[in-house]
Amino acid sequence: MSFELKEKGNQLFKEGDYSGAEDLYSQAIHKNPSEPTFFTNRALTRIRLEKWAGVEQDARAAIQLYGPKSSTSLKSCWYLAQALLGLHRPQEAYEVAIDAYRASLTAKSVQTENLSKSVLRAKQQIWSQKESSRLREMDQTLASVEQLIEADLNRAVAELQGQLDRGDIGHIGCVEDQKALRDDAEKTIQNVREAFRISSKGEIKQRDVPDYLVDGITFEIMHDPVMTPSGSSFDRIGIQKYVEQAGVDPITRTPMTVQDLRPNYALKAACEEFLTQNGWAVDW
Amino acid sequence: MFAGKRLSKELLKLKEHLPPGISIAKSENLEEWQMDIRVLDENPLYQNQIYRLKFTFSSRYPIEPPEVQFIELPTTSETPRPIPIHPHIYSNGIICLDLLSSAGWSPVQTVESVCMSIQSMLTANTRDERPPGDSDFVSYNRRRPRDINFFYDDDNV
Repeated sequence: MSFELKEKGNQLFKEGDYSGAEDLYSQAIHKNPSEPTFFTNRALTRIRLEKWAGVEQDARAAIQLYGPKSSTSLKSCWYLAQALLGLHRPQEAYEVAIDAYRASLTAKSVQTENLSKSVLRAKQQIWSQKESSRLREMDQTLASVEQLIEADLNRAVAELQGQLDRGDIGHIGCVEDQKALRDDAEKTIQNVREAFRISSKGEIKQRDVPDYLVDGITFEIMHDPVMTPSGSSFDRIGIQKYVEQAGVDPITRTPMTVQDLRPNYALKAACEEFLTQNGWAVDW
Repeated sequence: MFAGKRLSKELLKLKEHLPPGISIAKSENLEEWQMDIRVLDENPLYQNQIYRLKFTFSSRYPIEPPEVQFIELPTTSETPRPIPIHPHIYSNGIICLDLLSSAGWSPVQTVESVCMSIQSMLTANTRDERPPGDSDFVSYNRRRPRDINFFYDDDNV
């Protein structure tokens, strides 16, 4: 009975009626809350509907039912990572994705490529959150500096007014001095703004990924670089597929197997550092 | 697979910088591209001629090689493109080049590097002839180029 509901749900999903499909999966879950595929299907439907909180619940439920250490739960981990990204919780998404990525390598799961992408996406979102809060902080700093300059100006103007009231200076002199003070303050503000502009531009101007961090097969920045016996490094995803098929080193054509691939930790650290500072590179 | 993303990046790089004698004729989609190539030195066999290469990519590119062959555009067309004469190029445009076979391909090759290899294969050639058995091959072959076991017996050409 519950499986019939799921079948109907799948049909609606294929036809693009996601709300209808979601409803049928919910009914199926109601009848049988211990079948993980009901949850994974509803999670995928909710991804289409961008109902991220629901995706998170469903993915977690499915992972629980499959058993968190089971390789069958890897697809749900991928859904969970997408949900957490949708909910703007990139740090959690990163942790889910990187654990599942490692598990998928051991299990030789088809999810490896998707999970690898989620890892990069999460890194990108972590960076962009930091970047926007940095810009916001800088805006706030600039605003308080401007306020200080204006307060200083107002104090000086008020002092001149006092001197004028006491008859220490003449009216014309006072107007001229006030104008000079305002001009000075205006100029100072312009200078400060220019300095902020230059410094913020300075940090984002180098939008280029150095070649040594770019994988020669996928042409993307590496996040899990491995080395062949001849010493060339590639991202694991592409080289593994190639070596499985061709059985040779892509540069020297010397016979080799996947077991000959060694992690390149130094390069990995370099890629990670670059991504931490340049989250945009994920889309590059 | 990553074929689409990899190809769009190759295209971006190519458009930024094209090697001399190589230009993009068609790249609207990520399944088939056409490239025009020209021989740069004074080789009398290929002077003042432009040749058209057709690249067909599968979703497993660059793990698997692209299918690459010359295509002919008639002399009456606005851009006439003959099939270059070469002892490793059949008159139907199929190229016998180790690099393009499943066994000789490497995923670090690119459209650009393939064009340059073919360009230099033409540059170095002095023989005004087709491969042996050309007319038979052209009439009877129905196999796809990368499935054909060519003999790479003549590395000097």
